[in-house]
Amino acid sequence: MATRIHPLLVAFAALVFFFLVGPLVIIVGAALSDTSFLTFPPQGLTLHWFSNIFEISAFRETMTTSFLLAFLGTSLSLLVGIPAAYALHRHRVTLPTWLSTVFVLPVLIPEIVFGFSLMKSATAAAGLPIFASLLIGHALLVLPYCVRVVSASLAAFDFSVEEAAVSLGSPPLKTFFTVVLPNIRAGAIAAFILAFITSLNDVSVSLFLTGPGISTLPIQLLAHMEQFFDPTIAAVSVLLMAVTVAVMAVVEATLGLSFLTK
Amino acid sequence: MSVTLDLSSVSAHYGTTKVLEELSLSVKAGELVSLLGASGCGKTTTLRLVAGFLSPSGGTIRLGGEDLTRKPAHARNIGIVFQNYALFPHLTVEENVAFGLKQRRVEPAARRERALAMLERVGLAEFADRHPAALSGGQKQRVALARALVIDPPLLMFDEPLSNLDAKLRVDMRVEIRRLQQANNTTALYVTHDQEEAFSISDRVAIMNAGRIMQLDAPEVLYSRPANPFVARFVGFENLVRMRVAERMGETVLAEAEGGGRLHLSQQALGPIPDAFVLAARPEGLTVARQGEGIAARLGLRTYLGRAYQYRCETSAGELIANGPLSQPFEPGETVVLTPSLEQCCVLEG
Amino acid sequence: MTRRWLGWALAAPATIAVAIFLVAPVLATFATTFGGPKGAFAAYAAFFGSGFRRTVLYRTTEVALITTAISVFVGFITAYVVSRVRGKAKSILIIAAVFPLLTGVVVRSFAWLVILGKNGILNTALLDLGLVSEPLSMLYTEGSVIVAMVYLFVPLMILTSVGVLEGIPDDLIQASTSLGASPAATFRQVVFPLAMPGIIVGAVLVFTGSFTSYATPQLLGGERQMMMGTFLYQRAMVTFDWVGASTVAVIMTVVTIAIVLLMSRIARRLNPAAV
Repeated sequence: MATRIHPLLVAFAALVFFFLVGPLVIIVGAALSDTSFLTFPPQGLTLHWFSNIFEISAFRETMTTSFLLAFLGTSLSLLVGIPAAYALHRHRVTLPTWLSTVFVLPVLIPEIVFGFSLMKSATAAAGLPIFASLLIGHALLVLPYCVRVVSASLAAFDFSVEEAAVSLGSPPLKTFFTVVLPNIRAGAIAAFILAFITSLNDVSVSLFLTGPGISTLPIQLLAHMEQFFDPTIAAVSVLLMAVTVAVMAVVEATLGLSFLTK
Repeated sequence: MSVTLDLSSVSAHYGTTKVLEELSLSVKAGELVSLLGASGCGKTTTLRLVAGFLSPSGGTIRLGGEDLTRKPAHARNIGIVFQNYALFPHLTVEENVAFGLKQRRVEPAARRERALAMLERVGLAEFADRHPAALSGGQKQRVALARALVIDPPLLMFDEPLSNLDAKLRVDMRVEIRRLQQANNTTALYVTHDQEEAFSISDRVAIMNAGRIMQLDAPEVLYSRPANPFVARFVGFENLVRMRVAERMGETVLAEAEGGGRLHLSQQALGPIPDAFVLAARPEGLTVARQGEGIAARLGLRTYLGRAYQYRCETSAGELIANGPLSQPFEPGETVVLTPSLEQCCVLEG
Repeated sequence: MTRRWLGWALAAPATIAVAIFLVAPVLATFATTFGGPKGAFAAYAAFFGSGFRRTVLYRTTEVALITTAISVFVGFITAYVVSRVRGKAKSILIIAAVFPLLTGVVVRSFAWLVILGKNGILNTALLDLGLVSEPLSMLYTEGSVIVAMVYLFVPLMILTSVGVLEGIPDDLIQASTSLGASPAATFRQVVFPLAMPGIIVGAVLVFTGSFTSYATPQLLGGERQMMMGTFLYQRAMVTFDWVGASTVAVIMTVVTIAIVLLMSRIARRLNPAAV
């Protein structure tokens, strides 16, 4: 439809987008600055602060932990989330309706409350190792995303195709892997990616679960910011933004970015 | 007061694709004209151009002599009935009907009175306080009709209004639409892909294809005397045979079909016959016989239609479709003669 | 395929994980706050008896409400513009909203530290322009927390609202237009009421998100602008007062769930189409 938008509205939206993008541009500029303090626009250009990230062992170690945690936590979550989402669609008749509410619960409980409670029960009371608690925390943190995104692709899947495969002699389990899974692949990839980035950026759950010797990158960043204020932080931030760019490219390639407005 | 709608040389593009080419169309005051065609033929685009939802890339649209082309859509005063009803889900039935009156700053009391009177006319007065979600498809369409009529528009437009209804309701609704349109003597433009619907409801029908009007005529004329092969096929002349006049004998001509077969044709029945022409015949216009004058054919698949058998026939002029009587079934593979019965045939310019 | 146990078996691992590692620990947190030698509600009496803690709750509520109001207003209007734009420009705008959303909370809050700090970009610019004679202290105020939170949540509100606005059928807009409603009247009488349930959903996300946030108040509010999230952390990990921390946790959870339930009920009532 050829509706014209009021110029004032356009100007307002332009300002908003400037407000959204500006601060991120500032971080990129600050990370490239040839000064030992954070400034924008950059005075001289250097990549020194990026190499400096890897000089600091705390960043090196927490970065490894964070990526490992995001990968394992998300995989674990999909491993239990995909069958659950499948059951909620395929066996809707035999399952009680409250069951789908279970997977909304992690959204209703504030993340920080969940992290605190898990710390008390798992780490403090049950004596689970720090990494195990972190893994459980992250897997549950992203479970709602996994179930929801996979559910969305299952909702678009015509289950009579699965019945056709079974009628042609394909056993149920094999049918799931050869017929159902390939058809919800885009959803599973998108779920993985969104869950991965959520886990990678998480503060509220990790906050309580990190402990001596094991921390995550965002928590380390927070701690570092309270003591130092140099462009290394900006460089780490730029690195994390690069991960975001990669993620968006994958989402665009699998589901299209319009998926995110649904 | 009825007005005329005139489109002259209207063109439209979506991006670089041309959807309408220099389309001209006149709807007389109080007349109902249908735009009929397959999806993508430009009929809905034409309606959207008149409504002002699209801007033409050329040409002018006039309503009652006034140029609408540059007028914003909300100032055009045209009542539209949409395919999906397009009722406002957050408003009650009465508020839906009163919506246009509200925009025209009619006082609330008068608004209510006129909306209820209109709902009375479409038989939905007792549903005034319901929300559209609580109505059936047919009821929704009546509300949509009431909403379009209550503003007393000089032009009514219908965009496939019945395609979401079941067959029985469709027939009832089109009678009702026609009755209301004639009672108000409102000029109307009606878009549909359903031939029966278009023919039954319209004063004239424009058959469209690829952004152009192929023929605009009364339904009776379209049905019996299509102007070109496209329209002929569209109205059911499934057999088109190229022919050439071999000999003229007064009112009767002897014509030869492409690929063989001679026929005597009466110009009294078919109108003047040019030297080269296309003979168009409906399946029931080609009779299957063991012998006689006509086009030689070998019978293929036979299907049962209830009132007749239908045969796919191989002829030297290509595959033709013909009907045969139930009393005398033929077997696939038989060699027969196809004879046109002239009241089910017509002659097209070759 | 219709065997009853199969559905249960498939859903079981995820369900059990949620029960053991989420429901049970959170219930344990709830349990900690009741009972104790000083009576069942002693922990809550202590919380609401303390002026400081009441201030924290009040401040958190205030910041969350202001953040929600600004984010909803800014986000919805921007979304309206985005939903009217077509083609490539639209994809770019969507990307510009998604990118911050997928960038971490720490990074996004950090940006405002750089902008609002004493030697930050804003102060440098103001000094250079001669608008102020000495740097302003903008950090560690309610204002700085709100700015950063709005920055955090506007993208979310934009994307939610774009989804809602695009869910409104074009037909309805055209019907309204054909009935004589100007673009402004169509917006007021059709678009806005139909978008309302979606706006409420977005607002709830923003409110609960800002009410329970940690990183932003920690970085931009600090000790001086203690909020529920930072206070919970301080109780639990600095003073090791786990009952006090649990009390804060319970209040946060109850407020979150109450707001979600209340508002989704209102949203449902506003949506007669879904009857």
